Amino acid sequence: MANKGLDERQVRIRDSIGNQTFILLLYLLLIDAALYGLGFRWINYPANIMIILSICSGIYVIRLIAANAFLGPSAKTQRPLLKVVLTVFLAILVSVAVLVLAKNTSLSSPGHIEEISAPILFVTAGVALLIAFITFFISQARDRDDE
Amino acid sequence: MGKNLRLKAARAAKDMSQKDLADAVGVTRQTINAIENGDYNPTINLCIAICKVLGKTLNDLFWEDDQSG
Repeated sequence: MANKGLDERQVRIRDSIGNQTFILLLYLLLIDAALYGLGFRWINYPANIMIILSICSGIYVIRLIAANAFLGPSAKTQRPLLKVVLTVFLAILVSVAVLVLAKNTSLSSPGHIEEISAPILFVTAGVALLIAFITFFISQARDRDDE
Repeated sequence: MGKNLRLKAARAAKDMSQKDLADAVGVTRQTINAIENGDYNPTINLCIAICKVLGKTLNDLFWEDDQSG
């Protein structure tokens, strides 16, 4: 991952949070595999991995924003709105591409992908909204606390 | 690590806000805030940059002895 112009404190925080989130991801996947081995299936195969990845990604981003390690000091000179719009557009494109590719490969049945695609999109939208609200409140609280 | 009041005083003497100092040395305002509050231990490069902007030496701002700190 590129530095993105973070300062030294932000880089240190980001590395620490990244390491902790990676370990969390590993443990969640191991727990999921153990539950699967014991015969307990809380959600079918592709969706459980997606949900675990979404949870870990959400935790990572929220913790980065809470620690003010998401945007560097030069962020204000750039155009964050354009950046956000482009990022969302790219995310939608990637999601659609992955679904189309998964449909066309023989690795999984098309019906199964269609079954999970709608919930995944709903969950993704819900998580995105949740992150946006939490980010807003964290930023407000942090600006009040400083100075 | 205690609060760095000497840094705060030197910044105030130059009539600079945390944001001004942060922009001058290329870090975020929260990083300067963390250094002043003793929550973050900066690298020597950042210490030197801060000293140059404030016209002080490393001893003036960052050296801790028994009397001050």
